[in-house]
Amino acid sequence: MQVEDAADERRLVREAQDGSGAAMARLYSLHWRGAYRAAYLVVHDAAAAEDIAQDAFLAAVDALDRFDRRRPFRPWLHRIVVNRALDWARREALRRRVDGAESVFEPLPPPEEIGGELMAALKELPAEQRAVVVLRHLLEYTPGEIARMLALPRGTVNSRLRRGLDRLREAAEAESFAEEKR
Amino acid sequence: MSNDRIGRALRDAAIPEPPDAEERGGRIIAAAFEERQSGRSEVRGAMTPSTSEGRRRRPAARLALGLSLATLLAALLLSPAGAAVRDWVGEVVESPAPKPEPELARIPGGGRLLVQSAAGPWVVQPDGSRRLLGDYEEASWSPHGLFVAAAKGRTLSAVEPGGTPHWSLTSGARVRTPRWAPAGERIAYRSAEELRIVAGDGTDDRLLARSTAPVAPAWSPRGDPGLAYVTGDGRLRVVYSETGEELAGGPTLPHISRLEWGAGGTAILEASPRDLRLRGIWVRKIALIRKLGEARTLPLPAGSSLVGAALAPKKQAVAAVVTHWRDHGTHSEVLLFAPGAEKPRSLLTVPGSLGEVAWSPDGRRLLVAWPGADQWLFLPVGRGKARAVADISHAFSPGGDAASFPRVEGWCCRP
Repeated sequence: MQVEDAADERRLVREAQDGSGAAMARLYSLHWRGAYRAAYLVVHDAAAAEDIAQDAFLAAVDALDRFDRRRPFRPWLHRIVVNRALDWARREALRRRVDGAESVFEPLPPPEEIGGELMAALKELPAEQRAVVVLRHLLEYTPGEIARMLALPRGTVNSRLRRGLDRLREAAEAESFAEEKR
Repeated sequence: MSNDRIGRALRDAAIPEPPDAEERGGRIIAAAFEERQSGRSEVRGAMTPSTSEGRRRRPAARLALGLSLATLLAALLLSPAGAAVRDWVGEVVESPAPKPEPELARIPGGGRLLVQSAAGPWVVQPDGSRRLLGDYEEASWSPHGLFVAAAKGRTLSAVEPGGTPHWSLTSGARVRTPRWAPAGERIAYRSAEELRIVAGDGTDDRLLARSTAPVAPAWSPRGDPGLAYVTGDGRLRVVYSETGEELAGGPTLPHISRLEWGAGGTAILEASPRDLRLRGIWVRKIALIRKLGEARTLPLPAGSSLVGAALAPKKQAVAAVVTHWRDHGTHSEVLLFAPGAEKPRSLLTVPGSLGEVAWSPDGRRLLVAWPGADQWLFLPVGRGKARAVADISHAFSPGGDAASFPRVEGWCCRP
């Protein structure tokens, strides 16, 4: 079942603010999967994506009283998810540079095949480019909305999108070429 | 390639999802929401003048809170993620005391048991066969039951389940309560009042804390380096075991006797002879953040004493054994606190004294010791038949000598 429109979502937020556990549970069940997928596509680590999605909802619960009911819930949640995913990806990159090895205690799972050259190419993009591609093409935000979510100039969003999409297109064309040869 | 195709690929790509991730998150979010509501109620209560009118309002507030929690629970149970919880809660049934089987011929539900007898620890295989590991005084399983961490005097040893010692180290004082980390890389143990850590291969033995209460430490079951213990002055600390840095902490029960971190890493159980309480713990591996939730007291029958308690491996369900004086005699009762339930459900009441309780690795059964009847009781948590096995003392006495009733130290491992 989908939230019929923005008014329904506003109603759920209002009811959750008023103490309705049912409304909070509904918001969770409506948005968890999207939040997890967005986080995973940025960090490419299932355990981290789970934590990030969970963390975003905890932040939502923490900030529920301060949330402006007139604003939509979904972009607010996605802003938290993608920013935290970016933080995680940057920390992870730094840690790998410093340690020169994977963590002893939180070994990353082996690379997972998540579907074709396109996904492999997405994984190879810098995290900042992955984030804008995911926001634009998975979550369907406009470049202006993405700029506000990530606190970036709109030109930076556009350039990251362009560079990311160029890389993805190259990967897709290579895949098509390989298929034709087969 | 079109933008549509990129969008489709991102939406449709099969991505790995940790088992029960949505359900696990749902429980944590529900607990956080519950805590937020409790906090709001407390604030309202604090702002209410201390008048009879104010006092009259409190039951209404509690009722409203109860209704909202009930609604939240109902909503979660109705969600796809809650289906498993709903099935589990719905299946809880009471069991009468079963007729005992004459000997331990198999472990109902499978797995292996680690049993501490006066002669030392035993490993019991699924077919009921058993082996005495040696004259160790304490023992606990390693992850997956590959080894047993065994203590005797000042010596800590890693012993294979067949009885072969793998390594040993000598500490400065008597070794107590060794606990192997779920990821296998560390063992935490107490030596006098110290809490120490040693690598799983017996190297790198070092001090983690100078003053601890006589309570076994508890590792995060998620396989990360989080470790919970009780300080000498009665404080619960959750630390990063590599550095001792405190990740979370707070006061614990007076006279605490047991600390357990379970329910998939989402809760810590504290038990004392009179009280039982459960704390949510929010775990965020990305920054090794731990945040303790409000402690929730699990109500025990008036006048009863707590004998044993155990937290379920994956759910926030707690099994407890209590004794109380009733009808001119001692009776014992096995209680089950289902996840989120306000009150326990009685699974079994017997005359005399029951002992410790342990969950099966799959969370479907309880093993309850009944020393007075010289029996082990295997109680189903869902549908199923309760079983009892007699003559337990004799089974764990080498040479068939009369022996004291043994203690179940662990039930390992998930098939």
